Amino acid sequence: MAYIQGRRDFLKIATSSATATIFLPGSLGALGEVALKSEDKFIRSICEMCSSRCPMEARVVNGKTVLLQGNAFSKEMGTSLCAKGVAGSSQLYDTQRLVTPLIRVGKRGENKWAEASWEEALSLVSTKLSALKERYGAKSVLFSSKTGEHYDLLRSFASAFGSPNIFSHWSSCPIAIESAFHHTFGEKLHRDFENATYILNFGHNLFEGLDIPLTKAMAQFSANVSKKLVVFDPRFSIMASKANEWYPMKAGSDLAFVLSLLHVWIRDGKYDKKFIENYTIGFDKLADSVKEKTPQWQQSLTGIDAKVVERIADEVYQAAPRCIIDWGHKATTTKAEYQRSRAILMANILMGNVEKEGGIYFAKSAERVNALAKEIVVPELNNPYPRPHVNEPRIDGAGEVGKYRFVSKQHGALTAIPDAILSQKPYPIKGWFLTRHNPLVTLANPQKIKEAMDELEFIVVNDIYLSDTAMMADVILPESTYLERDEGISKSAFKSPFYTMRNCIVEPLHQNKSAIEMMRDLAQRMGFGTHYAWKNISELRAYQAKGNVELLQTLLMRGVASFDVPPLLALHAPSVERFCERYPKSRSWVDAQGLFSHFLEHLKTPSGKIEIYCEEVEHAFSGYGVTGAVDMDVTQGYPYVLTSGKSAVHTNGHTQNVPYLHMLLSDNPIWMHPSTAKAHGLKMGDTFYLQNAIAKERATVFITEGIRPDTLFAYMGFGHDAPSLKRTHGKGMNPSKLLSLESATLCGAMITNVGVNIIKA
Amino acid sequence: MEKQYRLLYDENLCIGCQACSVACRVENSVPDDCYRVQVHMQTIGIFPHLGMNYERLSCVMCENPPCVSVCPTHASFQSKDGLVHIDERACITCKYCILACPYHARFVNPIKNVVEKCTFCYETRVSKELNPACVSICPTEALSFGDMHQSNAFVAQKSQKEVLLFPKAHLRTKPKVAFIPNRKGMKS
Amino acid sequence: MSPMWGSVAQYTAIHWSWTIAIYLFLAGLSSGSIIVALLVKWNRHERSNSSIWDAMIKAGSVVAPTAIFLGLLLLVIDLGRPLSFYWLLIRYNVTSVMSLGVLFLLIYTPIVMVFMLLVFERSVIKYPLLAPLESLINLVKSFHSYAKIIEYFLFVTALCIGSYTGFLLSALYAIPLWNSPLLPILFLTSSLSSGVAVNILIGLLFFKSTINTESIKYLLVLDTRVILTELPLLGLFFIGMFYAGGDTPYAAKMALTEGFWAGIFWLGVIGVGLGLPLLTVIIAMRSHIYRVGYIVINSMVVILGVLMLRYYIIYAGQIYLG
Repeated sequence: MAYIQGRRDFLKIATSSATATIFLPGSLGALGEVALKSEDKFIRSICEMCSSRCPMEARVVNGKTVLLQGNAFSKEMGTSLCAKGVAGSSQLYDTQRLVTPLIRVGKRGENKWAEASWEEALSLVSTKLSALKERYGAKSVLFSSKTGEHYDLLRSFASAFGSPNIFSHWSSCPIAIESAFHHTFGEKLHRDFENATYILNFGHNLFEGLDIPLTKAMAQFSANVSKKLVVFDPRFSIMASKANEWYPMKAGSDLAFVLSLLHVWIRDGKYDKKFIENYTIGFDKLADSVKEKTPQWQQSLTGIDAKVVERIADEVYQAAPRCIIDWGHKATTTKAEYQRSRAILMANILMGNVEKEGGIYFAKSAERVNALAKEIVVPELNNPYPRPHVNEPRIDGAGEVGKYRFVSKQHGALTAIPDAILSQKPYPIKGWFLTRHNPLVTLANPQKIKEAMDELEFIVVNDIYLSDTAMMADVILPESTYLERDEGISKSAFKSPFYTMRNCIVEPLHQNKSAIEMMRDLAQRMGFGTHYAWKNISELRAYQAKGNVELLQTLLMRGVASFDVPPLLALHAPSVERFCERYPKSRSWVDAQGLFSHFLEHLKTPSGKIEIYCEEVEHAFSGYGVTGAVDMDVTQGYPYVLTSGKSAVHTNGHTQNVPYLHMLLSDNPIWMHPSTAKAHGLKMGDTFYLQNAIAKERATVFITEGIRPDTLFAYMGFGHDAPSLKRTHGKGMNPSKLLSLESATLCGAMITNVGVNIIKA
Repeated sequence: MEKQYRLLYDENLCIGCQACSVACRVENSVPDDCYRVQVHMQTIGIFPHLGMNYERLSCVMCENPPCVSVCPTHASFQSKDGLVHIDERACITCKYCILACPYHARFVNPIKNVVEKCTFCYETRVSKELNPACVSICPTEALSFGDMHQSNAFVAQKSQKEVLLFPKAHLRTKPKVAFIPNRKGMKS
Repeated sequence: MSPMWGSVAQYTAIHWSWTIAIYLFLAGLSSGSIIVALLVKWNRHERSNSSIWDAMIKAGSVVAPTAIFLGLLLLVIDLGRPLSFYWLLIRYNVTSVMSLGVLFLLIYTPIVMVFMLLVFERSVIKYPLLAPLESLINLVKSFHSYAKIIEYFLFVTALCIGSYTGFLLSALYAIPLWNSPLLPILFLTSSLSSGVAVNILIGLLFFKSTINTESIKYLLVLDTRVILTELPLLGLFFIGMFYAGGDTPYAAKMALTEGFWAGIFWLGVIGVGLGLPLLTVIIAMRSHIYRVGYIVINSMVVILGVLMLRYYIIYAGQIYLG
């Protein structure tokens, strides 16, 4: 492994004193002090500059400079990596990173800290949390994290601690799509961009919210002259610029458009009738729901001409099943987010593209492949993060009762937190443990969250920067960056399964520890260390891999382990045939048409089939059992809608302080159409205010033709208040401050399309 | 020329993500706020008839390089492979070459105080038969690089199939960088 | 239009600033003043030592070396690494106007100093302070027989210096405002006008004893002639740009109408540098009042105008790229 000879003094987060900083022009193995093991000049790992978590590698060139690039052992990656991924070294050496644990002195939020040793910090955390458990019950402590291994770890810890209140970031991001998938298919599906010939894209900006394998496939798709990409987005985004046709539809009106598409297909009988008959239930309910949703009806709601709907409906049908109606990753959401997602899934189902080439498909996980092949083709893994059942109700009623009953109790509704804390209903909350989570920047109405946090007795934050959220903590634990830590094995599956593993590239430059080390230590201190079958990361990996040395070796050397499983699509005869050739025992599953049709008959839905109509949902939320036109207003009576999105050079609220990325984009002026600017007497770069019932926020103007006159846009993740983030502190505005804590019906998604007024400065 | 290098930039695949810019920065220790390569995006047209141009701003390695003919000390010189390099010892930073470059590819390195520009990562990569950093890092594979004298090189084959334009061709600098123009949206 | 992300600051930076603008002015001043001094020397009729003509010759022989030395100093300072300037002396590139300029300067500078010593030979002998230069004087005296040849050679090299600065800029086809074949002649003419003006000014202030009305009138007319040559040249220079291709017409339009530098051009170069002296001369001619003061002011104003022209060309060229 890499090691550093000698220490160096980095910026210590003390109150105001001058610090000795060393200028390191981004070279990871800089100053000749990092040496990698002689036979291994390439260390492979997983990126964490965003949650796409692309397989990457660190390469030593000239014995000094290290370039981070894609891990070519993953064929979908090649050597590609995005700007953020490459800037990982800039983050690693950022002198403004946290390096020692900090304990609050002074008032909460005052930014006065005392440096502490790990012993002191972890001891304090364990004491305080145990005390809260003693006094108010373990349920009085919330645990939140972004999904990923951190989250699995935290969730496990929370369960062992005894708290049911575990939150992932899902409700601020993909929860609507996840819910829609869960109810329709029982799980989430993937898209076969490579083989599709026609894609309808509803705000899925893969060119600014990058995920290398998907972005690459999408780029190749859009550059292919024989394929067609239609993009719907109120903004002329990078994705929109690559479209064959771009429709600047009104913000949040996707649902109306898709419903009218469904209407046209059903009206003309242009859908895969056999597929519907064989594999779905509830089609009639859908036909009913969209009976009146004509192209003319949607015209006033979306701003798109009725003739366009007719033509696109026909074109997509002609291309079926090699067509995809893309639900996106996280478009700016509306109250109708669940229904929007469901409608899009219906569109795919009607086109019969499920488990076909160029369509959508289920993840062929190791377990699934082994079951189909009737032998252990792919080694299966143990779960190193067990979750004992906690018999306590959650504060948001997720998965249990009330408006969040269909919100997964594993993920929760983040927007319910401030109210729950402030009202002390259903019971008092006294603590919050956050890891890799910055709700004061990314969650709606941070002003209220702050207010709620002020009421808490103990807040622990695990982060690499002293973020806005960390400012409110009592104890800050400085995690090592992803380049400085080992983690467990991650499971992935597309048309075939593979595993990846994060490997430490550089020993921590300072005293930072990984979350796994921290939590394991805490668990030990708090008396539930035996909850885990491992004591350190090596044991964790060995346990996970069930002692499979070959697998571990591959993952250590290559970062990726794939098993040469032929890509499988259950309703695509050639791929089924290839699979059967490789694994002869699987022939017993093949039906008369040479397909694995049984696959679609035993889904994790109540009926076992694809549910166009969900009985259970309808009972709890009348009118929501099947997709329909509901809750489509986004303006709340205000003249403009503020939308937000990702940029290719930043990740949400994470990277704004990273030097190389800050250099490229340091501000988020509001996109505004020239006519709108003129109407308010604003010129490029002018300051103005965005106002609604929640807040009045200062912003600057970016005049562009690339947005609807009635819409505004801001890149999210800016407007950090924390002074320790010296580069980005005070730059830009935080659109979350204008968002309300109201969530989308049924799925609990944070609503990010919001009505605003423009006020001159 | 022994080799006929070409760097092909496909505007259709480029998404302006600046991965090339950051990779170059790391590979070549480019000082802060200076750019050896950058992609510039420009929205054109009137709503809703819009297009977006993507332009790679970097040295195009002219075969008739004005920066070489104006350099008084031969610090800017052309190798026999046709690549333009900078001899840092002899550069007196008179900045004549910076003004001479029609592509605005050169700048003064504020740390070393000499003129700097894209080198196709010659020393660390191209001389070792590897691709420049920007080419290998590009998430959408919008860049390809190779020797046009090798007919089976990907870049040679792609050049045959596509419409190619050379930036500021009318100046007769004969750049080694060519681009495939945008097919989508409004064009200037 | 500002980009979505990234930075275009690097591409709009100014690389050649005041040091180069002033150098161009000084090089032009030096060459112009020595050319005028030589012309006067070859064509004067009186042999009186205290005439304005003699004063002009003396002025030229002092201004030229001083200006060129100052100019060379500025050039070295402008370099990013001033101590590396010796590379200019050990390597030459015949395709580079800058390199050729270095050669010309290497030849011009010593010769113009020799000329100065020749002109002031008698003064040097007079003052004991300059005694250490005696050996140098003797050396110079040995050139006496070659004086005429030296003068002709000096004239040619001065012409080279005066026009090479124009070629230095016009060789860059990347800069529309510079890439005109008229720039070298514009610079040369402008240099000559600054040479006339500075010789008159320094001559009147430091070397003259008397000056009569006839001479004043003659000098004012000389001034006018030079201005009236420069004005049309400037006009042709810009008109030519509007008929050129590519970015040039747009760049020229912007350079003449946009921002601070357009102001410098119209008010400074045209208004103060050319219009004001012309006006002065017309008024003087009309009212038949020929005062020395007019000439002094006129000369200073002309020199200022020439300096502003260099400033304008340097800055506007780098800002207005079309």
